[in-house]
This record gives sequence, C-alpha cells and structure tokens, in this order.
Amino acid sequence: MDAFTNFATGTVTLFSDPLGIALFFGGVIGGMLFGAIPGVSMLTLAAILLPFTAHLSAEHGIMLFSVIYCTGVYGGAITAILFNIPGAPENAPTAFDGYPMTLKGEAGKAVGAAVMCSAIGGTVSAILMMLATEPIAEWAISAFGPPEIFALVFFGLAVAASVGAKTLWKGWLSILAGLMIAVVGLDPVGGIERYDFEMPYLLAGIHFIPTILGFFAVSEIMVQAEKKATGAYKAPKISVDFPSFGELWAHKIAVLRSIIIGFFCGILPGIGATLAAFMGYNEAVRWSKERWEFGKGKLEGVISSETANNAATGAAMIPLLALGLPGGALTAMMVGVFQMHDMEPGPLVFINSADLVWVVFAAMFFANLSILFIGFLETKTIINLLRIPFQFLAPLILMLATVGAYAVRGLVIDVVVMFVAGVAGFFLRRTGYSVAGIVLGLILGKIGEQTFAQAMQMLHYEWTGYFSRPIGLSLLIAGLLTLGASAYRAFFAEPEPEGPPEDAKTT
Amino acid sequence: MGNLKTGHLVEAGLWLLLALVLFIFSFEFNKPIEIYKFGASGWPRAIILMIVLAALGQLAWHWKRGEGGATSKLNAAADDSVEAPEDHSSLNWYAHTFAMVAIPFIYLRVPDFLGGMMGLPPDGLGTIKLLTAFPLMALFGWMAYRNQVGGMLALPIFFGALLEDMGFYALAPVFAMCVMYLMGERRIGWMAGVAAGVFGILLFMFVKLLYVGLPTGNIHPFYDFGTWIVTILQ
Amino acid sequence: MKLMNYFAGAATAIAALAVAGGTAWAACATDDLPGKRDKAGDYPARALTMIVPYGPAGGSGQVAQAMAQAVSDLTGVSINRDHKPGGSGTVGMTSYMATPPDGYTVMEHIDDASSAHALDSTRPNPASDLIPLVTSQITFSQIYIRKNEDRFTDWKSFVTWVKAQDGKATIANVSKEGSMERVTMKFITDATGMKIQQISFDKGAPRYGALAGGQVDALFEQPGDVRKFLDAGRFKPILTILKERPAAFADVPSIKDEGMNFEPLFRFRGFYVKKGAPADRVEWLQWAFQKAFCTEGYQKYNESKFMNLIDSYRDTKGSQELITSTVAQYREVYKSMGLEVK
Repeated sequence: MDAFTNFATGTVTLFSDPLGIALFFGGVIGGMLFGAIPGVSMLTLAAILLPFTAHLSAEHGIMLFSVIYCTGVYGGAITAILFNIPGAPENAPTAFDGYPMTLKGEAGKAVGAAVMCSAIGGTVSAILMMLATEPIAEWAISAFGPPEIFALVFFGLAVAASVGAKTLWKGWLSILAGLMIAVVGLDPVGGIERYDFEMPYLLAGIHFIPTILGFFAVSEIMVQAEKKATGAYKAPKISVDFPSFGELWAHKIAVLRSIIIGFFCGILPGIGATLAAFMGYNEAVRWSKERWEFGKGKLEGVISSETANNAATGAAMIPLLALGLPGGALTAMMVGVFQMHDMEPGPLVFINSADLVWVVFAAMFFANLSILFIGFLETKTIINLLRIPFQFLAPLILMLATVGAYAVRGLVIDVVVMFVAGVAGFFLRRTGYSVAGIVLGLILGKIGEQTFAQAMQMLHYEWTGYFSRPIGLSLLIAGLLTLGASAYRAFFAEPEPEGPPEDAKTT
Repeated sequence: MGNLKTGHLVEAGLWLLLALVLFIFSFEFNKPIEIYKFGASGWPRAIILMIVLAALGQLAWHWKRGEGGATSKLNAAADDSVEAPEDHSSLNWYAHTFAMVAIPFIYLRVPDFLGGMMGLPPDGLGTIKLLTAFPLMALFGWMAYRNQVGGMLALPIFFGALLEDMGFYALAPVFAMCVMYLMGERRIGWMAGVAAGVFGILLFMFVKLLYVGLPTGNIHPFYDFGTWIVTILQ
Repeated sequence: MKLMNYFAGAATAIAALAVAGGTAWAACATDDLPGKRDKAGDYPARALTMIVPYGPAGGSGQVAQAMAQAVSDLTGVSINRDHKPGGSGTVGMTSYMATPPDGYTVMEHIDDASSAHALDSTRPNPASDLIPLVTSQITFSQIYIRKNEDRFTDWKSFVTWVKAQDGKATIANVSKEGSMERVTMKFITDATGMKIQQISFDKGAPRYGALAGGQVDALFEQPGDVRKFLDAGRFKPILTILKERPAAFADVPSIKDEGMNFEPLFRFRGFYVKKGAPADRVEWLQWAFQKAFCTEGYQKYNESKFMNLIDSYRDTKGSQELITSTVAQYREVYKSMGLEVK
C-alpha cells in the first residue's frame, strides 16, 4: 500500500508540468532513435546530454536518463536485427537469430517480437524493482564485497567463454584476448603504465564503446563493402508483418524464463544486462527441443534475449540506487546525473531522496509501457532505412560512429581504436573467433582485475578466505564447474546427436 | 600428426608468438607495488599463461578431432563467422591490404619523431605534419585504386589518424565521398549530394542542437576552418 | 642548498593555509577587481572550450561545471566543457598541450598534475608551462570509520586495534602510487608505527560502499566527497590531516594533537590557460575566473563541498607558489620513498 502511494506521488511529479511531459516523450523517442540508428547508441545520446541535465531540475534530469535507459536497451535490438549491429553488448545475442530473420525477410516479425518482449520484460522488471530495491539495499551492501564481485565476474566469463563462440577454445581465446586488451592503460592498484608504447593517449585505456562500434558497426560495413565489390551483396528484404498474438503466446514459457533470468542477472553490478541477455539466450537453447534451429533465424532466440535484457534494466537500478554501484556505462552516467543534483546514490538514498527515487521508478515503468505503443509506430519508419542503397548508408553510419566514439570521452584515439577494431573484426569473423567474447572480456577485465586485487588484499592473499564467504564461494564453484564441464564435453563427449547432420555447418 | 593441418599449426603458432611478445613487453612495467603482492604484471602474465594453455588445448583438440565443427549446438548458434571470398584471401592481397593499414600509423608516429629530433616548436611540427600527410594521401589513393576492398578497410583508420590534426569539419565530407567511391558509386552528383546531406545533418544535429565539440583540428589552416564553422553554427 | 630554499618556500605556502575560524571567507579576496571588464580587442569572439581531464560526475567535473557557470553568468561568454578522462589526468593534459595557444581553450586540473611533474619532470609543470588563472578549491583529508563501529571509537583506540591485527586491518584508498593519498598514508603509518593494508579503489562510490558495507575497516577521503554520509550519520571522522582543527570539525583531533609531525598535503583544483596565449587575453581570463570565484553561486557550491573550512582561493601568483612548493615537497618524499624521480 505504501509502495502504491509512493508510486502515485512519483507519477504525479512526473506528469505534472508540460516540460516534464515533453522531456519524457523526448527521452522515449530519443532513446529509441539513438538505440536504433546504427553507429550511435543510447550511450552517445546520454554522453551528449549529460552536461545539459545540470540545467534541468533534479526530477527532470534523473527522469530523462531513466527513460533513455529503458528505451535505448530496446532500441539497440533494432540495429541488431536489421543490420547485425547490436547497439550495446546486451543486444548481441539478439543479433544471433534476429539478423538471420532479416535475411529471410522476416525483419518485421523479429522487430515486432522485440517490441513486445522488451515492453513485457521491462514493465515486469520495473514492478519487481519497486518492491525489492529497499529491502535488498541493506542486505547487499554487506553481502557483496570485492571477493563476491570477482567470483561473479569469473562465473560470468566462464559461461560466456564456454558457449560464446564456435568452439570452447575459440571462446576462451576470444575472452582472453578481451581481458588482455583491458590491461592497456594504468593498472588498477598502482596506476602503473602498461602496454602504452609511449603513446600518452593509450594511458586512458581502451574503452569498450569504440570497441563495440568497431567490432559490430564498422566491421559489418566492411563485410558488406567486400560483398559489393565481389558482387555477392544482396539487399535485405523488407517486411513489416508483425508477429501474431498466437505466435507470441506460444513462447510464453520462454518469456517467463527470460524475465526470471534477466532480473536475477540484472541485479549483479557491472555485468547485469549483458550477462542476462547471454544467459537468457543460452537457456532458451538448452531447453529447446529444436536446438539446431537457433542461430538461423528462430523467433524464440530474439524473444529470449530481448526479454532478458529489458528485464535486467529494472534490476540494474537496485545496485545503482541501493549501493551506488552502476551496472554499466549508462547507469554510471546516471550516477553522474544524481551527483550533479547533489544526491548520492547509495544506502542513504531512501533516507535523503525517497521522492526522487520514486520518480525514477515511475519514469521507468511508463517508459517501458510506452515502448509498446511508440515502438510499433517508430519501427515502421525505421525499417525503411533498409531501402536506402548501402553505399549511401555506409558513410552516414561511419560518420555517426565517429561522433559516437568521440563523444564518450572526447578522445580522437577512441576513433582510431574503433576503426582498428573494425578491421580486426573483419578478419576475426573469417576465423570463428567471437568478437562479442572479446568485448565481454574487455568490459569485465577491468572490473575483474580490480576486484581480484581488492579481494586478495582483503583476504591477505589466502584463497581459503573464501570459505568464510559462502556467496563468493558458491559463485567460484559454479564458475569452475562450468569450465570443467565444457572442457570435458569438448574432449570426451560425442558431438550432440540431435538435428540433421548438415546443421553442424555454420550459417 | 593425428588430424592436424598446417592451418592449425599456424594458428597455434600465432597465438604463442603473441603471448611471447606480450610477455617480453610485460617486463617494461614489471614493478612491485608497495601495497599489492602481485604487482602490475601479475594479472597480465596470468592471462598470457592462460592464452598459452588455451592455444595448446585447441591444438590438442584439433589433433584428436580434426576440423571438428562446433563443440556443441550452443556454440554453433553463437558462431557468426563469414566465409572469405576466393580472391580476397591470397597472401598477395593480405600483404597489400596490411601495407595500406600501416600508412595511418606512419602518420601517427613519424612527424612526432622527426619533430622531436629537430626540437621543433608546435608551429613547425604542424608544417612537418602537413608535409608528411600529403605524400601519404597520394600513396594511399594509388594503392586504394588498385585494391578497393583493402582501401575500404584502411581508409577509416587513416581518417581517424588525421582527425586530431585536421579536424572533423574539413575531413568528413571528403571521407564520405571516398567511402562511396570505394563502395562502387561513380555518379559524382549523387556522391556530392549525399556527402553534403550527411554532413549537414550531422552538423545540425550535433553541433547546432546538442553543442557537441567535435575535433576542430590543431594545425592551421584546418583549425581556423573548424572553429569558423563552429562559430557560425553556434 | 637550493633544496633548503624550496623547503622554506613550502613552509611559507603551507603556513598561509592557516585554518580559518568559521566561515570568515565571506570577505572575498577578489573584491578589489572590477565587476565588469571590456573585451580584449574582439576577444572572446566565440565560446571558450574548457578541457576537463576527468569525467563529468567526479569532483573535477562538478567544480568545472560550477566555475563555467559562474564565468558565463558574469561575462555572458559560454564555455563548452570537453571531458577527456583517463591516465590520472595525463590524457587531458596531453590533449591540451596540443591545442593552439590562442586563449580560447582553458583547462581544469588538480594537484595530480603537480605530483606527476614531481615524479617525471618531462611532464608539463602547471606553474611554468601553464598560467594558473585561479585555484578555487583547496581541501584536506580525514580518516573515517563507520559511526556504529564498536571495535574502536576514536583515533587512539583505532591505532591500538590496528596494531593488534598485525597488518590485517584494512583502509580504503585511491589507486595510484605516489598520489597525495598514498603519500599521506605513508606519513601516518611511519608516524604511528602501525601496519595497515591499503585497498585501492579508483572510483568514489565503491570506495564509500566498502566502508558502509563493512568490507574495510576505515576510509581515507576528503570531507566534501563524503558529506552525505557524514550528514546521514553513517560515517564519522576520527582524524583530521591538518595541524589545527577547523571549526566545523572541532571535536576531531588533528595530526598535531595526536603527536604526528609532518607537513600535510592538500587536494587542490584550479583552472589554467596555456603559456604563449596573448597577454591581453590571459589578463581577461584571469579577471573572469578570479571574479567568478566570488560570485554567490560559486561560493554556495564551494560551501556545499566543505571548501570554506580553509582558505580555498589562490590567484595566479598564489597558485604558482602553491604548485612550486607542492612539487618540491613531493619530489623530496618520492626520493625518500625510493621512487625513481626523473
């Protein structure tokens, strides 16, 4: 009852003045648009808008970012489906089946499913968030220290490495390459310069945004350019036939499963939404009776991944608000918005700024609902991007990506890194290595090394210290089991028998 | 030899070589940290060791299984690899392409090195940079004309390398035209029109509406051109 | 011999940081500057750019925002902030040194630029390669514990407890060797003879979360950054790293009270223009930034960050003295720590 009153108050604050309403819809459309235009992402928009929120009231600034966050995660699915360019790492698994669907001429169906599932996942997650944040806040702050976060990162990497590429080995080598890239720059304990090759700009380290843009957006353009040059280019087929209600209802179990997975993964600081999407997708494959259909344009793949990553958005607000721990780049910027208005997210947020927290909750709830309505309308427009001849679309995407990479930190080196990653991605994709794995390794590598060092310092370099920390211990064991099981399967188990034999070939 | 092919040995060899190079460079920052036992090099060296193990594991797996396909259906689903076309996988093509990719890095290192050797002030360094840039552009154009896909790969890096000094405002329209040319477009009117349109949209959206400071360039006359456009728009 | 001179300089500069009684800084140091000033020729004809070598959310981002706002309100010239975080401020500095010195680009930077120059003199010296426009924040550090902590309650019982743990007690700190924080911790551990494990956190929020959640036993921080936690009664300071107690923390012992005898180091943030910019433009900028410090909006911001407890203002000359003495002090400490000083 209390929660309901707070929610009502938040809603009234949100929509009580015209500027608030304008910002809300501006945020919804902006988030979707930036998420859905290949080359830029919601992060680009957020980085650009961050300085301006200082001029807004605290309610408006925070509301705007909450809205962009929800709609941007959905928007990233559109480029993943239409162009094989995920807007953010959490949209990467969406492309596994979404892009093949576009190639088959079922883009409308995939996008429609993404709209529905994003809205459902996000809305349910927003409701859970409202109920759970406050009680979890106090518990998590003492239960989750650096040793637990390191164990979590290890578990996340073990899962991603085992199933993220063509073979277990390529999966691990991809992740390890990502971890190695994360080493460039200053070390997290002593600030010592590593692999900077005398270039001062490399001290800033390699940021994951330009890397994602390079691996996905730029390399995709290069692959298409090569196809054009060799005459193998085929313009994608356009369709706007959305899935029927019956088709979606048939996947209700997948939706429910992904909501649960998404929400619980989303709570984990640092890796929430990305892990959620990968786990949601993997579980869908694991539970399916037609595993061999995945990766070739199966609707359930899109549904599982998109439900899970949107279900993680609400969950990610829990560590953010309760612990001041951002789950990713966008939530980190939200911390910035909070601080600009003199409000520190953390255990005290419910004491000091409860009204603002409920504005966030209300904004996220309505943003997710509006995905359903505005999403369908906007999608019909955006899908027409596919009609533009590719040689005209390419310079636009490349230049948007340039702005997107540059705007994050204002560093030209990020533009160079992005294009180098594009070339690297172009060649890596000829080999079966996973560029998504490299990105995941890069993102988690920094957190992983830092929390490892902190854990070792806290436990006085004794692994046995984990025995007095049951949460950390279970996560470590889960990671080791994942690792052992996949290695055993790779060497000793027969390749899985289901499916027609030619399906072992790649798409 | 089990089921090994030469390709598998080359692949493992490349990983081991990479690990060796990274290990050698790790001595440059192999410093102890007062408050941390593993120092700055502990973590990277552990990763290097795991790279070696994974590369050897992959080799052993190929030895047992041959090509073997994906390790599981889950893995097959995550695979997004692309088949390389015949005429773009010859050694010759790779050599030519990587030579082009190297051009931007020449620009990034050589003028600074020359300037440092001559002890030049920033203004003089700008002149050296211009004198290096134009011959490299000509060389690049000649190579890209003969290998358009390679050109398409290397051109954005070259654009990125020039960005700090020459600025987004002067380079972007030229870049857009070059991309269209390399992708097979030959109608000059269309190219100019699309380049102007794309450039206009970007300027309006980011500079005029959102006040994003794109790189203006640091050397004259590019710096003056960039700031001139920004002044007009804002 | 020269070194002794430096030390004399350091001593006077630090003596000038004498603790203020209450909020007496209201009488602003720049009141003799004119309230309006003509443009220098046609300068500034367009918006200025301010390079901030840290992200928008941290202490530097916030002070840059407050100062840019104050300067714009005062002069009507807008300032675009360009955040270039990374490498502990090195990246922003490198980028700034490559810009043309025409007075249109200014920079925010902190004492890290001074300690970086002290460690490696090929890095720019903020006092001579740049012209300080104003130093607008100078603050001190404290040691914090949880308010509901029952194993120890004040500095004395904390030291006793830490010694009993035989090096297993922990304190959250920043992650850079040779930083102001690490050097100060060395002063303290040397002076008390205690052994404590420092745990490095490069971001503020996880650092504070570690103390609040009981992951570490204590925290090293500046009061403005943890004000929320102090106001909400979660943290309490047990040591002020100053020679005298500021009025706002009258019941917290200073290092002198606890028998520690070292020169405290300060965190300071200021604004710079590149050397070589035309002199009339530099003068205009000095006026604008020094005058903006005194505006009500900026003063209110500084107060909210506990920046009014000691004298937080230096003009160009004062900033140069502060930087020069800080560099000399760090260089001496680094040598005694056995670090390689280039």
